[in-house]
Amino acid sequence: MGRYITRRVLQGVLTLFLVILLLHLLTTLAIQLNGNPAQAFFGDRPPSPSQLAAVEKRYGLDDSCYDQLGSPCLGPFVDRLGAYASGDFGESLRGREVTDIVSAAAPNTLRLFAVVAVTWALIGMTLGSIAARRRGKPSDQGIRGLSVLIDALPIFVLLLIYKYVFSVPLSKWAKETFGSDSLPALLFKPSFSLDHPWATLIVPGILLGLAGSAAFIRLVRAAQLESYNADHVRAARSKGLSERHVAVHHVVRNSSIPVATAVGIIFTEALAGAVITEGMMNIYGMGGVLWKAVQDSDVSVVIGIVTLLAVVTVVVMIVVDVVYAALDPRIRYD
Amino acid sequence: MKIAQLAAGLTAAALVLTGCGGGDDEGDGETTVRLSIEQDVDTLLPMDSNVNDNISVLDVVYDGLVRYDPKTTKPYNYVAEDVSTTDNTVWTIKIKDGFEFQNGEPVDAAAFARAWNYAAYGPNAMGNNYFFERFTGYDEMQGEYEEDDEGNVTVTTEPTAKELTGVKVVDPQTLEITLNGPFAGFSTMLGYTGFFPVAQECIDDVDACAVKPIGNGPFKVEEWEQGQRLTAAKWSDYKGEETPDFDRIEWTEYSGDSDWADFEAGDVDATGDVPPAEWERATSDPDLSSRMIEGPGAALSYLGFPMYLGKPFDDVEFRKAISLAIDRKTIVDKVVPGQYVAADSWVIPDGVPGGVAGTCEFCTFDPAAAKAALAKAGGWPKGKKLTIHLGEDETQEAIFKAVGDSIQLNLGIPYVLDPTPDFFDRRSARDFDGIMRSNWFPDYPLNENYLAPVYASGDAKKGNENFGYYNAEFEKLIKEGDAAPDLEAAVSKYQEAEKVIATDLAGVPVMFAQNVMFYSDRLDDVVLDPFSGEIKLRLLKVS
Repeated sequence: MGRYITRRVLQGVLTLFLVILLLHLLTTLAIQLNGNPAQAFFGDRPPSPSQLAAVEKRYGLDDSCYDQLGSPCLGPFVDRLGAYASGDFGESLRGREVTDIVSAAAPNTLRLFAVVAVTWALIGMTLGSIAARRRGKPSDQGIRGLSVLIDALPIFVLLLIYKYVFSVPLSKWAKETFGSDSLPALLFKPSFSLDHPWATLIVPGILLGLAGSAAFIRLVRAAQLESYNADHVRAARSKGLSERHVAVHHVVRNSSIPVATAVGIIFTEALAGAVITEGMMNIYGMGGVLWKAVQDSDVSVVIGIVTLLAVVTVVVMIVVDVVYAALDPRIRYD
Repeated sequence: MKIAQLAAGLTAAALVLTGCGGGDDEGDGETTVRLSIEQDVDTLLPMDSNVNDNISVLDVVYDGLVRYDPKTTKPYNYVAEDVSTTDNTVWTIKIKDGFEFQNGEPVDAAAFARAWNYAAYGPNAMGNNYFFERFTGYDEMQGEYEEDDEGNVTVTTEPTAKELTGVKVVDPQTLEITLNGPFAGFSTMLGYTGFFPVAQECIDDVDACAVKPIGNGPFKVEEWEQGQRLTAAKWSDYKGEETPDFDRIEWTEYSGDSDWADFEAGDVDATGDVPPAEWERATSDPDLSSRMIEGPGAALSYLGFPMYLGKPFDDVEFRKAISLAIDRKTIVDKVVPGQYVAADSWVIPDGVPGGVAGTCEFCTFDPAAAKAALAKAGGWPKGKKLTIHLGEDETQEAIFKAVGDSIQLNLGIPYVLDPTPDFFDRRSARDFDGIMRSNWFPDYPLNENYLAPVYASGDAKKGNENFGYYNAEFEKLIKEGDAAPDLEAAVSKYQEAEKVIATDLAGVPVMFAQNVMFYSDRLDDVVLDPFSGEIKLRLLKVS
């Protein structure tokens, strides 16, 4: 086990290096093709040459390699790696530490993901299990139909309808009925509130989770159907164990492996939905910050955040692999 | 069963989690105004603040030498005791005694001088650097640079000076300013954010000061959680007269998307950001529309012509034809209701001194006259398309598609839109071969600012940088205005200059931005700053 984890960690480090290199090459190419991101610093008003020069220098964009199309700019890359190694993730175009930005934005996104994950697990496991147990019956058909319907409703449609049609009257009603700082009033707030980060994230999180739950439902259903037909389940039944016991101990547990894999993949997928959710619900999170940084050609923020996300993804993947062993005793790593 | 248990558990957990964070804004009788700003605000340094949002925040955190009348935008002395000149070139500014910064430092002549020198020093890359172009010694603080075709800059000579020769601290309460040439409107610039004073402590740690300003105004910034929220509270030691009658301001930062739903739900006290789809409903709702205020905004959208290309763009009849063919009012009403108003002048009417409506005779919609003018200009080459250049912006693209349609329908000139990300670079490089959607937002409230920076160049051969326009009479009138004995005389000279632009139709006004604000029933005395479109916080009453 120890050796396996070491190997995976080393692989992870290599992956990270490649991610950073690829990002570096892409952003370098973008600068070479699109011109100077220091221009973005000044917005609408064309800066004077002296200002432009000062900004280029401040953000390390004055290296001449950025002017030669096709140059990989390895000098600045090595500098950046060195800075990362010493814990310096650079500054945004406006002089804010990237670590500062991340420490403000990451908790909100993680909260959102927590609600999403719970929603996913609840809806996916419940509906998927029901559908598998009642295969072919109306409830199975209904759940499968529902999963198609969920797929057909993208997250921005759900949020748009929620925010502009439901949240305003609901939040007004809750305020009048329960008081303005009551939980229902906070739940239905049209936007995120910094004072109540959990309460105001629950509904957007549930909606985002709901939007992505269809694949989960189908996955759980398929995995459990397979288990229902497996030899060990037949053996358990023939021992005279109750159907409930069989379902909980032999079916659900054994069909959890693909589900654990999916959680890993979902994590990255949720980020795409997070950009939209954060934007619409005014949540200051990683998705929104990254989105804006890309628009503004804010190179150090983009690379810094994507690197951090890559770190998180690699860690989640390793954890998922380790969880396999706990779920399935047949899996051994040595 | 299980789900019900889980749901109950979750709700309970949420109750616990939120219960502890329950804030009570108004628990101890404090009145708080809840406003919104955009997440784009990234500095609160006066020398670097030049978007509406940080300007409106700093308006209550700092006091300038002058402040502007909310109705007429005429400047009146505030921190300044007196602003005087004999020749419009050398100005003496007397500063009132007794004002302090929020850290106890005095607000004296040195406080202004250090802010201005810092802003004017090129390598500091301050957003308001260009305001100091008129001061003597500005050039020496910029250094020399070479710029290649791609906009890359290399320093050839470092700046030789770190201070403006045109700013002299005569004594603690007196500043003497020397300009490069006479400029009668100088005092109108002094209330702008870029001219606010800063404390020495601010210059010693500019990064800290940009996030937590040390102001001299009635409010003190408490905390700025960048990207999320900014709060300011009344500064108890404030000695000025103009101070709001509420205790705290809480600005929530929004990421581009509208705060309209939050306003409707009562979480935000005012918003000017109505989604176009909601406009009709909002303005016809008797309750909402009774809490709406609108007024002209300062920004002008206009069409520029590449006169440097010669025919047909340098022919005034052609420009007339284009202008007369545009149905401004219908376009605004259909495409961007409430956000703009059709323009028929170059200077915002009643918004700044010297602004009058109707100076543009050919800004009416008259298809027949448009056709006649086009015929006079010799028509439009057959089979050629007229390009409309503009920056990349969805709203503007929709508006100027309608403008193009108007031209095509009424003059038979086919057009093509060219939204470009490098609009400003390409325009100043004269890279455009069609008409250009341009926008002008004035820097200080004076009619001169709508005219000279846009159309004057002093270069008879090349004309002005963007369009190649030149008119000696216009340049003369601007100069005469700059040297006029007082502001009023200057304003009327500039008005004469506007008439020259009107005769030449040097640019075609299309529309002015419209300021709109909806406010909650907690607010009273809501007055909009005609310049920024934001609420005048010092006049606002909160119940």
